[in-house]
Amino acid sequence: MSNVAGKSYAMNTVTPLNWRTVGTNKLVFWGAQLPLLKAALNGLTTLSLIHYARWAIVKPGEFPRLHPSQPAETLKYAYMFFFSNFNGSWAQYVDSFHMAIPRGLDLFWRKNLRYPKSVPLQPFHSYITYNQIWTNHYYNAYPSASSNDVKAAKRIKSGLEKFIADTGNASPSEFKKKYDTLLNDLQNDLSLMAPTPIVSMAAAAVEGRRKAAI
Amino acid sequence: MSRKNTSGAAYGLTLLCPIKNESQGDRSYAEILRHYLETLDIDEKSPMAKAPNTYFARFYVLNDVFYQGYKFEEEHLKSKYLVFSSNFYGDRDTYIREMWNSNKDSVQEIWQYCVGFDEVGDAESFLDYVKRCQIDNTLFFNGSTDDSLSEQLKGLYLKQEFTRFAYDNQGANPKDLQNRFNEFVERTQPSNLDAPTWLPGRSDQ
Repeated sequence: MSNVAGKSYAMNTVTPLNWRTVGTNKLVFWGAQLPLLKAALNGLTTLSLIHYARWAIVKPGEFPRLHPSQPAETLKYAYMFFFSNFNGSWAQYVDSFHMAIPRGLDLFWRKNLRYPKSVPLQPFHSYITYNQIWTNHYYNAYPSASSNDVKAAKRIKSGLEKFIADTGNASPSEFKKKYDTLLNDLQNDLSLMAPTPIVSMAAAAVEGRRKAAI
Repeated sequence: MSRKNTSGAAYGLTLLCPIKNESQGDRSYAEILRHYLETLDIDEKSPMAKAPNTYFARFYVLNDVFYQGYKFEEEHLKSKYLVFSSNFYGDRDTYIREMWNSNKDSVQEIWQYCVGFDEVGDAESFLDYVKRCQIDNTLFFNGSTDDSLSEQLKGLYLKQEFTRFAYDNQGANPKDLQNRFNEFVERTQPSNLDAPTWLPGRSDQ
């Protein structure tokens, strides 16, 4: 069991809400993609520690039933599933969310039962902890890289390709001039990636067991 | 209404796969499956490393829903569910077919305890099964890029290699710098996505 794969943490929560509010909540999520409400989520982009995240609301009758032998669910509440892939520790993530997009969180978890709002922090911590489910297997295609590394890598690759095309017939002095410009343009993207320090004792224990088994 | 499984070329797949309410000896299928998932190899040896274009993927067993305490109804699930969440590049149908074709054995090992999976025998029937288990996202947020995995991995490889190059060649005279850069390009082949590059899931690159 581990919620950690390299520099990424997998968070899962499942929280109930009254099914009557599902329509309105879905409208909120839809509206969050419009310019007017998108401002409440600007922090998500600014934080820049999330690779991918998603929310899915499942109404009582929407839990998959694949065979008559499978008992039908008799739920009264709808449930919101939340999945996030982010860099850093649990506390860094939850605290950053709380500080950067408190209004956005309150919109997304609107009317979820016992949701305490994202401010103050301690009840919000308790709510997430209570409703979090541990990941049984987590895979990350680039364990050494953060979300910012992936975005920086894209800029470096396209910068290099353009530079190579631009300097094919350049004299050494022209080459050096353009090379310096390239470094200047990419200076914020250049850094060495390395395995993450321990952010979770559980993840470290998993890693220890894995090494022992090899 | 909002229904969002894609963000550009990135796809967020969410499956709730009911687990059979059966047991082997004194262990339920849900418990056996959870143990199996927890003891899978990780990183580049994870079965998901073989599924082309997977950025991130996870499995967990949902035992039940959480009771929120006094004033609220206490309710329980009738089935336990295998929850599968994958973020990948491209369209769902291609991804699922390639997942089956690249690693059928692992797919069968993982899903064998689930209701309805008995009818899965090839890529098309696996896709049909996935469609029946899929729940639509309400919002899919992409904080990264939506490039193909090979494009992302090549970029990361180049980031690492070019950072070293820039560090090692500080103060080099223009002629040496140009020669070394040409060697760098020949060695790293920036436009070749196949090689040299990072391998999916490798943690020591």
